[in-house]
Amino acid sequence: MTAPAVLLEGVTKRFSGHVAVRDLSLEVPVGGIFGLLGPNGAGKSTTIRMIMEIYLADEGRIELFGTPHGARTLSDRLGYLPEERGLYKKMKVVDQLVFLGETKGIAHGEARKRANEWLDRLGLGEWKQKKIEDLSKGMQQKAQFAGTLLHDPDLVILDEPFSGLDPVNSQVMKDVVVELARRGKTVLFSTHIMEQAERMCDRIVIIARGRKIVDGAVGDIKREAGGKHVALTFSHDKDRAARVLADRAIVAKLDDYGASAEVELADGAQAEALLAALVREGVGLTRFEVVEPSLQSIFIAKVGADAATAARSEEVAA
Amino acid sequence: MKKVWAIVRRELVERVRTKAFLIGTFLLPVFIVGMMVVPTLLMSGTARTKRIAIVDGTSQRIGAQVQAGLGAQTFSRDGEELPRYDIAVVGAAGRVEAVRDSLVALTGFARDEMPTGLDGVLVLTDATVDAGDATYLGGDAGSLEGVGELRRALSSVLMQTRLSNAGVDPAIVGRALMPADLETRKVTDGRLTGESGGASFALAYAMGILLYFGIFFYGQQTATSVIEEKNSRIMEVLASSLTPFEMLLGKIVGVGLTGLLQLGIWGGVLYLALSRRAELAGLFGADPNAVASLALPSFPPDLLVIFLLYFVLGFLIYGALFAAVGSMVNTVQEMQQFLFPVMMLIIFAFFGMFAVLNDPTAGLGVTFSFIPFFAPIVMPVRWSMASVPIGELALSLTGMVVGVLAVAWFAGRIYRTGILMYGKKPTVREVLRWIKAG
Repeated sequence: MTAPAVLLEGVTKRFSGHVAVRDLSLEVPVGGIFGLLGPNGAGKSTTIRMIMEIYLADEGRIELFGTPHGARTLSDRLGYLPEERGLYKKMKVVDQLVFLGETKGIAHGEARKRANEWLDRLGLGEWKQKKIEDLSKGMQQKAQFAGTLLHDPDLVILDEPFSGLDPVNSQVMKDVVVELARRGKTVLFSTHIMEQAERMCDRIVIIARGRKIVDGAVGDIKREAGGKHVALTFSHDKDRAARVLADRAIVAKLDDYGASAEVELADGAQAEALLAALVREGVGLTRFEVVEPSLQSIFIAKVGADAATAARSEEVAA
Repeated sequence: MKKVWAIVRRELVERVRTKAFLIGTFLLPVFIVGMMVVPTLLMSGTARTKRIAIVDGTSQRIGAQVQAGLGAQTFSRDGEELPRYDIAVVGAAGRVEAVRDSLVALTGFARDEMPTGLDGVLVLTDATVDAGDATYLGGDAGSLEGVGELRRALSSVLMQTRLSNAGVDPAIVGRALMPADLETRKVTDGRLTGESGGASFALAYAMGILLYFGIFFYGQQTATSVIEEKNSRIMEVLASSLTPFEMLLGKIVGVGLTGLLQLGIWGGVLYLALSRRAELAGLFGADPNAVASLALPSFPPDLLVIFLLYFVLGFLIYGALFAAVGSMVNTVQEMQQFLFPVMMLIIFAFFGMFAVLNDPTAGLGVTFSFIPFFAPIVMPVRWSMASVPIGELALSLTGMVVGVLAVAWFAGRIYRTGILMYGKKPTVREVLRWIKAG
């Protein structure tokens, strides 16, 4: 068995007065997409920074590719996109990428060639000679993303890679990430947007308040979560559904999104009973589907409503 | 090491590309030369023979002597010697005021308005001989230089008059008034250097100023550049590829090289300008021969080596300190107060330079030339002013190298923690903890 790309064992990090990460263990296998999930303040960025050897763990052990070397020694095999993006404002886009490549040990000429290729691929071809400050936020983010991948790293660590991107750019980034995984690279990314992780990740870890809550393959996690879930989308008279959804004999848990909702059925309750009740009340539905539980609902079940609310409000902010 | 070189190159290339560098490098010398040349041109343009009437109310009739004394004054324009004053003496014993007022009526008009007008009226009375009281009424009475010339000429004539009144032989008076003309030449290691004392002082002084501003200006750039990297958060990307010490080293070397490049360009331009000064002077309409004979300080190669050596070592020390300061704060405003201790060190070094200029062979200046924080400015100045025993130079350089290593260690520890600290400024105790942390 090959050594995991990233291995954390009992890692703890304290900052003056509070514990940011507490006794965290996780294993990121080589190849595929790994999601590190949790609300802000959960310790995602701190964990990533410890993996990148920017912070040193107070306790525990971190191993990369089964070697005792830290991220800085292995930096040529690692690509890192920090949560707080930043490039030299006055520097030309292409020079910036060449510089980032050089700090990863690529020769100047080769770095320039690759920078040009990446910028063309990400649709920034016309902006190569522009200064970073002339680019929009989204374009800057794509440029930095290219800088992260210029040296073709084996392990790519992305801290909230999709935050602040419009759907089109988000799609471009997602395609690149998926393609990396297909080529056998390992991608570890953090996000607080559960739907995204659900669609992209092979394995996930959910952390909250510095502790690990959920760990495993996405499919397994859903199976284990169990319960029968129904996804609803309302077309009219949603307010009439309130009484039915509050009925504990049918609905164990409700995750209300306004125009849609996800419901976990109570033990012994049938989906048909719920549908019949809703129709009786005269609620208009465009969707009624028995589904696997979403990561979002698992997350709420495990973490509790407080943290979930925090995660939701961040989603709005992002 | 390749990665450090990437940092060095980025610092150098991006800095040299800025407008500030171009302006600083090429316009500053033009500005300085302009500041020196333009006033000279302006003054040589306005110098002309002044028409002055002397109202002689003295019983001794010293007007003629004053006329002779002032009339001997000349100035040169376009290589021609011209009399400074065109003087008419009007005898006015007993009716000084009436004569004065009638002459004043002709004074202070523009040349083209009244070609026969006067520039000024000098009123001499018996009190002039006795107590030195004289009155000058003129359109140029506000010109310090013009009035100063007149006062010196008049004083000298009055002194001669008083001495001859006291029965001293005019020939003796003439000899007695001859001023001392002290020629100074600098001696190093028992050899005449061919430099005049003044030129040697000017050279040492200019070099000290250059070191002071070079270290100060580029040091500050190091600090602001660290702050920029902190604010743009690029620091985190770099910190995952390089050790903090490599980042620190790359930055200081990069900024320092930019400084050396700028100094090199200035030095080269100065060298060219001086070696072609005769042609240049011709362009500005000055007398090429006069400029060519100007005594210039020579810049011996050993001094150049010492200068560069101490600039480099000094920049390593101060660059590291400035970078550490930059890493502690988040904004340029916050930087100012943390910069204070570093600035005090440089300012002390600058004071040390004056101690050396005062006496390059003993005292505080010599002591300062062994202290790593002060030596970068003090030692080159001392070297240029007096001969320094080679043992003392070795001691000073060893001190510098030890100082550089110590400061680099100390600054590296602050830098390592500081670059990833955002938010509030650290307290002194926190900074000490950063240094102590393993």
